[in-house]
Amino acid sequence: MRGYWVILRTELFGLFISPSTYVASFYFLALLGIGFRFFIESFMSSNWILPPLSSLVLGLIFGAPALIPFLTMRSFAEERRLGTLETLLSAPVNTSALVWGKWSASFLFFVLIACGAFCFPLLLWSWFPAQAQSLGFDHFEHWVGGGLFLLIFGASFTSVGIFASSITKNQMVAGMLTFTLLTLYIAVMAFSYGESSDSHLMEGPADLIRSCLGSLDDGLDKLQHFAVGVIDIGTILHQMIILLFFLSLATIQIERIKH
Amino acid sequence: MIEIMSAESKPLPIIEVINLRKKYGLIQALKGISFSIGKGEIVGFLGPNGAGKSTTLRILSGLIPADSGEAKVCGVDLAEEEGEVRKHIGYLAENNPLPEDLRVIEYLNFRARLKGLQGSRKRERIRIALDICDLERKVSERKIGNLSKGFRQRVGIADALLAEPRLVILDEPTIGLDPRQSAIIRKMMERLRGEVSFLLSSHILSEVEACCDRMIILSHGQIVAEGTLLELQRKFVNKTLFEIVARGNRIDLQKVVRLVDPSCELIQDDPVEVSGKRRFVFSTEKGEALAEKVLKTLLSEEAFSLSEFQVSRPDLETIFLRATKKNWEEQDFIGRRNRRIRMESKTKGIDINS
Repeated sequence: MRGYWVILRTELFGLFISPSTYVASFYFLALLGIGFRFFIESFMSSNWILPPLSSLVLGLIFGAPALIPFLTMRSFAEERRLGTLETLLSAPVNTSALVWGKWSASFLFFVLIACGAFCFPLLLWSWFPAQAQSLGFDHFEHWVGGGLFLLIFGASFTSVGIFASSITKNQMVAGMLTFTLLTLYIAVMAFSYGESSDSHLMEGPADLIRSCLGSLDDGLDKLQHFAVGVIDIGTILHQMIILLFFLSLATIQIERIKH
Repeated sequence: MIEIMSAESKPLPIIEVINLRKKYGLIQALKGISFSIGKGEIVGFLGPNGAGKSTTLRILSGLIPADSGEAKVCGVDLAEEEGEVRKHIGYLAENNPLPEDLRVIEYLNFRARLKGLQGSRKRERIRIALDICDLERKVSERKIGNLSKGFRQRVGIADALLAEPRLVILDEPTIGLDPRQSAIIRKMMERLRGEVSFLLSSHILSEVEACCDRMIILSHGQIVAEGTLLELQRKFVNKTLFEIVARGNRIDLQKVVRLVDPSCELIQDDPVEVSGKRRFVFSTEKGEALAEKVLKTLLSEEAFSLSEFQVSRPDLETIFLRATKKNWEEQDFIGRRNRRIRMESKTKGIDINS
């Protein structure tokens, strides 16, 4: 992984000086904050069974198709458009280090935005401790579970964005492709919500297919576990497989461009 | 550290290419080229568009792999130790793509870190590279996107020189530059002559002629000529030209010149504006040794009132055209023959592929 840290540092710097990243982050956090406020206001009268923190996680997951493209679309598409990918590859740096470095930068920025989102309940807690306690903000496991769920989905979603950016020279095409792929992913998760059974026995080919789909089939169902601090290793592994799959595809694509 | 001395302490060439081949789909870009470049040499890579120059340079810089053949840089095989070899090569890509939104100093810092330079050594190397390329402090603080083409090119070369490379590969380094900027780049190469080996491709023949120790001419993926300018002149156009500006008619002058060398041929006769004199160009195969005799004879004949006498050898452009002409004709012949075979097979209904 020669050159990984250098790439990561430069990519992060690039994200920090890019106005589009700031605009996207600001609007995203603003909308998320407004949504969270209204959710908290109506929480007592709603029949929401999960801890209120999970609404923030859901907001970030459903908003990811709008946010992730802004973090990833530049990474390879812009390098290819300008031709700087060739200059970059002429230095002693591995293609895999390049892909992982760019992904890490996008992912870290996503984590930063997620941290920004988690500041809303923290502020609420510091200003209105009694109300925050009644909403269950003092349960540490809710924070860890929700945060972990966000991290693993954020990791796989940004890998989709990096892959989309590697296959085109046009930033807009890369952004649209990321948006489409992530929207499809979330749509499948949303439509299959509540259909998975807790039985671990496979009763037919349909069950086998569903088990292979992993969190694509029951990702949102698993949020129920994560939200209360129950960590599901299967979901983490499945997201890791998606992450590796898309980053490997991006690496192959960059190698193919070289040849 | 790559050792570049052989067991008998004989310096190994910086680049050694043996039978290198590369194919893009159906097009054979390189048809088994072999050459070598010594330490500190400045070698010009010439050839018409599509000759395979950039492909060779990209293979040597480790950007793309060759299909077959061997390419060694500093004695190390590129195919085996690509990453290690890249540390010792500085590469300036064609059109020199650079990130627009970074400042020069930020970009060079990034490139230096990528090349494994750190701390004081990194700062020192950046300072030296900026100095060699005449990029003063004011320029280094500017954004690359706001720089002129000449400055951008110098930033690219500064990047190529950062990690104290033993070999610098420059793909069209002076394309689109004004004569002053080109001269600065030539001056930079002159400054490093003997320390660093340069391999540069260019279409500007006068420039290659001015700064290169040796030339390699490529055509249709093959090396058609290789050597110093003098060697190439001897090989391709072994003639010396005498340029004479004098009064009088061509028949009389020719008669006098032929008294010295009967093989001398008059190849050009143009009037010189205002003066009423004419410019005559004679060509001979007997070389420059004859010049003194011709000049003495002409000076003794007062009727000609000689005002200019110049001995010249054919320039690189003439050599380039001669060297590539034969190859073009061969390729043209092969192309026509293949087309004819295809046409004949079509009319006879034979599947050419089978």
